[in-house]
Amino acid sequence: MSDSLDAYLVLAGILFAIGSFGFLARRNAISMLMSVELMLNAVNLSIVAFGAFIPELGAQGSVIALMVMAVAAAEVTVGLAIVIAIYRNKKTPLVDEYDAMRQ
Amino acid sequence: MTFEDLTTIAPLILAVLSAAAVLIVDLIWPGRSPLAIATALLTLGATAAVTIVVGQSPSTAFGGAYTVDALTSFLDVLFIAIVVLTIMFAPDYLLPRSLPVAEFAIVLIFAMCGAMLIAGSADLLLLFLGLELMVLPGYLLAGFHKSDSYSTEGAIKYFLLGAFSSAIFLFGLAFVWGLTGTTRVDGVAEALSAIIAGDAPLSPGLAMGLAFLTTGVAFKIAAVPFHYWTPDAYQGSPTPITGYLSVGPKIGAFALILRLFVEALGPLSDVWLPVIVILSAITMTLGNLVALTQDNVKRMLAYSSIAHTGYMLVGLAAYAGGQMDGLEGLLYYGAAYTFMNLGAFAVIAALQKRTGVTSSLGTFAGLGRKEPLLGILMALFLLSLTGIPPTAGFFAKATVIVAAVEAGGALTVLAVIAVLNAAAAAFYYLRIIVYMYMRDPESDAPALRHGALMWGGLAAATTMTLLLGLLPSALLEIVTDAAKAIATIP
Repeated sequence: MSDSLDAYLVLAGILFAIGSFGFLARRNAISMLMSVELMLNAVNLSIVAFGAFIPELGAQGSVIALMVMAVAAAEVTVGLAIVIAIYRNKKTPLVDEYDAMRQ
Repeated sequence: MTFEDLTTIAPLILAVLSAAAVLIVDLIWPGRSPLAIATALLTLGATAAVTIVVGQSPSTAFGGAYTVDALTSFLDVLFIAIVVLTIMFAPDYLLPRSLPVAEFAIVLIFAMCGAMLIAGSADLLLLFLGLELMVLPGYLLAGFHKSDSYSTEGAIKYFLLGAFSSAIFLFGLAFVWGLTGTTRVDGVAEALSAIIAGDAPLSPGLAMGLAFLTTGVAFKIAAVPFHYWTPDAYQGSPTPITGYLSVGPKIGAFALILRLFVEALGPLSDVWLPVIVILSAITMTLGNLVALTQDNVKRMLAYSSIAHTGYMLVGLAAYAGGQMDGLEGLLYYGAAYTFMNLGAFAVIAALQKRTGVTSSLGTFAGLGRKEPLLGILMALFLLSLTGIPPTAGFFAKATVIVAAVEAGGALTVLAVIAVLNAAAAAFYYLRIIVYMYMRDPESDAPALRHGALMWGGLAAATTMTLLLGLLPSALLEIVTDAAKAIATIP
């Protein structure tokens, strides 16, 4: 099973699940950001796997994977900027303590 | 790339150039906000004019990846209107807090470019890029008051859940692409029709892809139970930006639904219809119930915007149930909701011209006597949000609900739930009106003087709110054409 499309898709699914778990379980904003990156990498793995195993999708797959990497980079930039802004105000990266508006 | 391709994407090019023009003007004459606003409004006006001209003749560009039809130009003009009104409402709020107006306009126009890209996408990859281009500036806008802890707190919640949902959406997109073998929207629809024609059950990969796409989109339109980011992001953001966030990204995400679910996943409508019905019912019910208990008007309107998402989903469900009117109702609702909701947020922004004024209900006490004109306008927008004739909100609600009744079956139940919800929603909207006219003001502060731009924007929002209620036929013709452009049922 190690050389089939399904194996890679299952691996991507497991990576995605680990990323989602990390996002839901971690309370540090930076760790949550890293978990989202893991999820996006899982997506990229599945895209590249589709491209590698289905000949007609090869060229498309490479282009889509590159686009996803560019978008992920842009997203991290914005995210880190916001984390820095809130760290200056609150002096903590823990999201549990961002509760000024909870009623 | 041919010359025809360039004329087809001319509205997008002009939109990007508008942002660039404001950027350059601000670079040469820094800090001159009236100049930056004038540049933004002029260039956006030109963009709107070109959008309407290009929209006269449907065309496609780049081998079918981008398409201009009646739906594209309707949505594009709506997005431009949203951004123009937001730019008009913003200076009264931003300037007293020494926030830069030019940067605000630039980021906002870039977000609009993303929304316009979604409206014309006929390709899954373009849809995703448009979505990201629309939401990334949105995160920045939510945290625009970066020294304010509420604003940054709203921004981080908006960002984290937004990035999470983008990843989920993209995972679904990857599977739909991999298993149908094409990124083109019409190609996906053909492949799916062929797959379900054999009466075979959906393959696990495709079913999972569909589930992930639905979840990702539900986050973006703030449907219950994926709405947790909404109240904090809306309450924390600077008020004019809350107004934008409650309509711009929401209509943009509905544009994504129209292109993705109605067009690409149209053949699977039997599979996603029950999900949409359930999402719609719990979204409007929970949105309205929680809104009843809120004492902060911005937070109340955040929950109300969740409820309005539910009403719009009624239109989508009615369409999937076989009624063309549902799609028309959804588009009409989007336009009506834009103007009444932006108007309501503009009144709050106008009151907050005096720094330190909160958005609690007490701010509205005695407003009807202190600032009679602002009080009347707020009352009008709230009545329209409630859905009282002869305002835009009434006609919008009526079209989606009638469409659901005509579709029959489980959708009749959904229509009944929508009517009950509209009645319950009246309580919290009218509560603000009671505060405005039957309570004494909490402070002796004199009435504020509002800028000409603010009054101009309010006049435009009021005109549209009344016009869409009194003369619905004009817009109805446009949305019928727009709906026909993507509908697969007669």
